[in-house]
Amino acid sequence: MTIIKLLKPLQLTLALLKPDIVAQPHIVQNIRQLILENGLYFVLSKNVKLSHSQAELFYAEHRGKFFQTRLVSFMSSGPLWSHVLCGDDAIVKWRRLMGPTKVLKTVFDDPVSIRGRHGLTDTRNCTHGSDSEDTARTEIKFFFPEFSIDKWFEQQHELFQQDLVEFDTSLCQHVPVQANSLGTSEFS
Amino acid sequence: MFKKMALNGCLMKSALNTHSYSLVLRRNNWAKNLTKREAKKAVVIDYVGENAERTPIIYAWGSAASGALGIASYLRPDVKFKHGRFVISRINRPARVRFFDIHKLKPLDIACGYGFTVVAVKVGSRKILLGTGMNTDSQLGYHEAPRGSGRVLDQLIEPGRIRLPLLKPDDCNVVTMDCGRAHTVVVVEKEGAFSLGNNACGQCGRTIVDGEDYGKNQTVNKILGVPDDVVKVVCGQDHTLFLTQSGQVYSCGLGADGQTGQGHYRNTDRLMLVQGDLGGEKIVSIGSRGDCCLAVSENGDVFGWGNSEYGQLGLVTDETQVNVARHLPLKDCGKVVKAVAGGSQCALLNDQGQVFVWGYGILGKGPQLEMSTVPSRIPDPLFGRNELSPNTKVVDIHCGLTYLSAVTDQGDVYTWGRDSQGCLGLGEYKNQFFPWKVVLPAEAIKLACGVDHVVALCRSFT
Repeated sequence: MTIIKLLKPLQLTLALLKPDIVAQPHIVQNIRQLILENGLYFVLSKNVKLSHSQAELFYAEHRGKFFQTRLVSFMSSGPLWSHVLCGDDAIVKWRRLMGPTKVLKTVFDDPVSIRGRHGLTDTRNCTHGSDSEDTARTEIKFFFPEFSIDKWFEQQHELFQQDLVEFDTSLCQHVPVQANSLGTSEFS
Repeated sequence: MFKKMALNGCLMKSALNTHSYSLVLRRNNWAKNLTKREAKKAVVIDYVGENAERTPIIYAWGSAASGALGIASYLRPDVKFKHGRFVISRINRPARVRFFDIHKLKPLDIACGYGFTVVAVKVGSRKILLGTGMNTDSQLGYHEAPRGSGRVLDQLIEPGRIRLPLLKPDDCNVVTMDCGRAHTVVVVEKEGAFSLGNNACGQCGRTIVDGEDYGKNQTVNKILGVPDDVVKVVCGQDHTLFLTQSGQVYSCGLGADGQTGQGHYRNTDRLMLVQGDLGGEKIVSIGSRGDCCLAVSENGDVFGWGNSEYGQLGLVTDETQVNVARHLPLKDCGKVVKAVAGGSQCALLNDQGQVFVWGYGILGKGPQLEMSTVPSRIPDPLFGRNELSPNTKVVDIHCGLTYLSAVTDQGDVYTWGRDSQGCLGLGEYKNQFFPWKVVLPAEAIKLACGVDHVVALCRSFT
């Protein structure tokens, strides 16, 4: 138990899959596979559709920038998948998986990243990820108002840290391993 | 001993006999064969009749996971082969789409979007529209299978019929059609223009409904306000351009980069004329795949509007977004007949068959990534003009988001640019830095470039 307490706490981040790839289910599947392979956990998942005003609110920081209109109309053009991911250095890890923002340059600079592989243009760039712990907190609150980060750290954090969770494909998130199934897996 | 000698003599005798005999025979044969050979030369056998039609064939390559290639056995191998287990999700060489051969369909026109393909075909005396691939925004219409079960397909792995609300449903004479990221626009002769799919930015030409669910949607919209003489429809990713016979350009859809060319950066759901330098010009060709738009007038002048983040319109402005059509002062490009614009690169074709490229990315002039605002020419020998075929010239150019392609008068297809899922069709999953010929066992007539797949309408050589 003392070793676990010495470990760095897991980090939470928000990952969004944007409408251009949500329209292509096989790519969504590939990206989820990639996330799991890189040791990140899905804490929560939700399929949402933003209205124009909600998208404007989400990208309030970009207000006045030249790409704001196209970003907002693109984000409200179809359903999104929002995921709360956790893991060691989840923010940096997820941003590294995504690749740089400017897709038309990324396809040459970082062709193996998600954006390099599946991105279309600078705005239609597949994914979004929080850039710091503070923005992660506010963005998670925006998409999951019912989710309390502090409560999660109290109740579930240790389970994720000890890897006592398994991936549920239908919910698309990690759930605590059931007591009986844990028993069988330990003795078999 | 005596017996042996006698036998020997007998053998010798017979050998002599045959020898003399064969000499005579050979001489006779030689003369006979000669006459036979001459007679054969005179006869010309027609294996293919004089009036035989050259079969139209469809070849497709690129990403197959979406079903856009229309080859069902790639995604459901167990149907065709009993023990087939592996799914083919991408292919880097032209694959023949046998669906059209098996069902005796004669393809007439093709169009590609992001992960889906639309084909206009003739069956007997009927003309219908087929679609295959992604249908998550109902861009291929409403497909319920089995009918009445409530199981609506959001992906078709084999062509299925797109039903348009026509007066004569079996007489769908497609004038022109094109597909964007998630919408399809079809112009039918004497019936008008129809649009299917995502309308979040007004690209379908109908009122934007905030929060509308486009999946499993039965709406097929007849676009209002479309002139009767539309000759060409071009879809960008989220906008639509219409070109009329009289040379006017109308637009609707996403306008955040000025793609609609109407002097503002808002989305428009109603067709409006493109403003700016296009007034009074007769436009003959338009091109747009990404967010930049180009138009060519009858006199060979080129106009551009929309996104210019990568210097596509750098000749006239340093701004990244242009919301009215601007005349591009090109030099030494001859009389331009066609111009296309992808995500970051543009290309134009002049009446001499010369290809010019500018923008950013793999432009086709070597392995260096370059950003150029001035069009530069790709040498003709790269398109097959050499001492053996000095008259070969490029007759058509097409554009994907990050790659370019050209069709020559010989029916050869050349592609170059960034490879994604094998969309270049060159047998490798690698970027191609200069034009390279696609191995196509037929003569290409028309090419449709999607985001990660290409469909070619070809004609057999005989």
